[in-house]
Amino acid sequence: MIGPYYLQLLILIGINTIMATSLNLILGYTGQLSIGHAAFMSLGAYGSALVTLHFGFPFLVSLLCGALFAAFFGIIIGLPTLRLKGDYLAIATLGLGEIVRIVFLNLELTGGAVGLRGIPKKTTLLWVVLAVLFTVFILSRIIRSRIGRAFIAIREDETAADSMGINSTYYKTLCFGVGAFFAGLGGGLFAHYMRYLNPNSFGFMRSIEHLCMVVLGGLGNMWGAFIGATILTVTPELLRTVADLRLLIYGAVLVLMMRVRPQGLLGQPLRNGIPLLGRFFQQARPKL
Amino acid sequence: MKSRKRTMFVAAAAVLCLVLLAAIAGCAPKEPANGGDETTEIKIGMVGPLSGDAAAYGINILRAAEIAIEEANASGELGDITLKIISEDTEGDWAKAANAFTKLIDVDGVSVIIGGVLSSESEAGSDIVKDAAIPTISPSSTSVDLTKGNPYLFRNCLSDEVQAVQLAEFAVEELGMGKFAILFTKNDYGESLRDAFKNKAEELAEVVAVESFMDKDNDFKAQITKIKEKNPDCLYIAGYYTEAAKIAQQAQQAGMDIQLLGADGLCNVVFLEVGEDAVEGTYATSGFYPDDPMTAVQDFVKAYKDKHGEEPDMFAAQGYDAARIVIEAIKSKGTTSEQIREGIAATADFPGITGKTSLDEEGDTIKDVLILKVENGKFVRVR
Amino acid sequence: MFIQQLINGLILGSTYALIALGYTMVYGIIELINFAHGEIYMFGAFVGLILVTVFKVPFILAFLLAMAAGALLGITVEYLAYRPLRQSSRLAALISAIGASIFLSNLALLIMGAQPYTFPSPFDATVYRTSLFVISKVEIIVLASSILLMIALTLFVQRTKVGKAMRATAQDKDTASLMGININRIITITFAIGSALGAAAGVMVGVYFRTVTPTMGLMPGLKGFVAAVIGGIGNIPGAMFGGIALGIAEVMGAAYISSQYRDAVAFALLIIVLLLKPSGLLGRTAQEKV
Repeated sequence: MIGPYYLQLLILIGINTIMATSLNLILGYTGQLSIGHAAFMSLGAYGSALVTLHFGFPFLVSLLCGALFAAFFGIIIGLPTLRLKGDYLAIATLGLGEIVRIVFLNLELTGGAVGLRGIPKKTTLLWVVLAVLFTVFILSRIIRSRIGRAFIAIREDETAADSMGINSTYYKTLCFGVGAFFAGLGGGLFAHYMRYLNPNSFGFMRSIEHLCMVVLGGLGNMWGAFIGATILTVTPELLRTVADLRLLIYGAVLVLMMRVRPQGLLGQPLRNGIPLLGRFFQQARPKL
Repeated sequence: MKSRKRTMFVAAAAVLCLVLLAAIAGCAPKEPANGGDETTEIKIGMVGPLSGDAAAYGINILRAAEIAIEEANASGELGDITLKIISEDTEGDWAKAANAFTKLIDVDGVSVIIGGVLSSESEAGSDIVKDAAIPTISPSSTSVDLTKGNPYLFRNCLSDEVQAVQLAEFAVEELGMGKFAILFTKNDYGESLRDAFKNKAEELAEVVAVESFMDKDNDFKAQITKIKEKNPDCLYIAGYYTEAAKIAQQAQQAGMDIQLLGADGLCNVVFLEVGEDAVEGTYATSGFYPDDPMTAVQDFVKAYKDKHGEEPDMFAAQGYDAARIVIEAIKSKGTTSEQIREGIAATADFPGITGKTSLDEEGDTIKDVLILKVENGKFVRVR
Repeated sequence: MFIQQLINGLILGSTYALIALGYTMVYGIIELINFAHGEIYMFGAFVGLILVTVFKVPFILAFLLAMAAGALLGITVEYLAYRPLRQSSRLAALISAIGASIFLSNLALLIMGAQPYTFPSPFDATVYRTSLFVISKVEIIVLASSILLMIALTLFVQRTKVGKAMRATAQDKDTASLMGININRIITITFAIGSALGAAAGVMVGVYFRTVTPTMGLMPGLKGFVAAVIGGIGNIPGAMFGGIALGIAEVMGAAYISSQYRDAVAFALLIIVLLLKPSGLLGRTAQEKV
């Protein structure tokens, strides 16, 4: 009915949707620029894979363990860095992501540079679809709740939010924790689909890929994350027909898409000439 | 009004996604069922990094495999069967390699695959080719136990174990070395060479320093300074040619008078060009010796040079041999995937350009290791 | 050994500083993480290499021409990929920069192939040895050129009229344009200078490390940016300082902790600096506008 290749693409679209939606919570709704999402994914992937391999837990439990593991580290790592803003936060998360990768590269437990083998294949399309629905459901509930309004308030103006009695550090930590949880879930699904893990795939280019998905789809839009994930998963595969020119065109596509629709496909248009996140970025402005 | 516009946009974007999906589905050539009846064209897949940091390795293998296949098609050795190679890029990322393997098998309907190039690519593809029952031969994935327990995965590169052990013995017995230092690249290749070499060297003599570096690093002075303190008389570089040449240069500059050793990853002209006089006297294990007078080797070197204007390296030679093993398998057993698998598994004493190659029951290679030495800016065979 | 490691770190750091200078210039003006800077660095190295090996141009001339070519490429990238996004969110510009970076490195791969090229060294291999440390001529040149470029750049920004306009633009674009400064022109000039510096770094590092490849820009580009942030982004002496701090941290990490955690030490330094002084070691803390 549907060939393994298309099945694989659908599964990857699903996993990337989870990654993009969870990053969207951090970036699109709370306005925190994180370039270390792949690290959370790898924490979830390794966490759940190790649990499966060593304790033989049922799939759902392993996934949960991986996700909680990622969330735990998300909070631990996130706490100190959340004091940072804008590009500084971005570069700090990038650094943290690289540190996580290097640690995995050197751990005996995770197979080091050789990688982790023999993870059983448990992820199916059904699991992925359920996980995507679960992620989208929970995240949209959060966004429509009091917590979500606090997130958006922080995005719009952190100082103002603080003065309205919103504990921005608490909410930012919460946001990173939740985002990392779902990134870990995506990582767990990924690990049990690929059956092999190697830290090299969780470098900063992968984080950048997630970032592109969110921005391309449109910040602060659930559908946007899905559409961004779909486009950026499918386009490189589609471009396989042009062989040598594949990544050349891919790069050009990114530039062109931003030119045509800088707010992303489903992003909110600019308000009062202030770009989304614009206000937020105006802080910590360096002087030459 | 605003919400209507938004809904329209959501709809439009959703349609775009569907179109994209349909487009890939549309690109797929409608495959005839992979039956046994007269197929005159056999598709051979190739998976490897054709872009990104590791692109040089993948591209060299692809070029060489293409030469082997063109030659086979031109010579008519397969009768009315023609071979076609379809390559897919992995960008050096194993996760993308999984897509490449699945695409080749599912969409292109290849009967056999040459690849992956990096060990992580082969690891990621291992279960995929096993499930699909497509025989796959990797020309360069050296990680330990890669082919174990997978009847569809083979490799024709030197095992790290054999190379490292033989060189350690050679260094102690022939060169009289006693104090070893090891500098390895932090990937599967470097790690497994390090383990094998360290064990053997510790058994025969002494290992005083073990340091690591990252692939594509430029600066090794910190590690070299550290190693120099320990005064070893011999440095084993477990890595690839570009980094190894820079290590040699920087060690020379640091005033280290040291015997350099290495594995097949060093055997490329870039090592000689970048290393200049700093790499003189280096010993390296290899399966391939471009100046071998054997006609098969000379024919290949000439064909490769004519086509691409440069001397083939170890990767290219192994890519050529992998393709030749596949061709021989088709010749001897038949054209279906299962027959090709049997053919590859039965490879024994295959006279490859990288030496006489046999595959054991695990799909691993048994072949002789050459030891080359750099003399006057050229690799010379010493054993 | 300690002194030698310090020297090693200093030299490595000055290669990062060379890259960081261009990064910091561009960031200072438009607050964009110019991801394509690493590719301009690669491009400069290739132009220098081709001029020296194919056209047999003397090294100094090749160096200057590579800088000019880098400036041209920088202006083109700015014009095509960043200028149309000037009024949009900075994230859009960031994605555009990433796209440009992917495009350029793959274009180079297509044209030049993946095999590394050897850069013939224009300097002799003289090595100066003392009892405490060893340093080569090319290392001294790399160090000196990064210091010279930093000084020249600081003077340019502080003393010239264009430099003044740049500082005004960095501070407040709208007000600057009301004062009669042509913002577009200033941004173009900044990109030209920043990219020329990137290309200069490419040639210098190419000469120093001997090889040039299409993907050479990725990691050094990242490290250069990290160096700029450590030093205080937008701050020219800061870029130099940050580069050297990063180089020394890396080398000391490899020497006294573990060479396996070398890069991790560098990134840990980054995070520590950001936590203690978010505006970087030499950066001034900007007052938050409410």
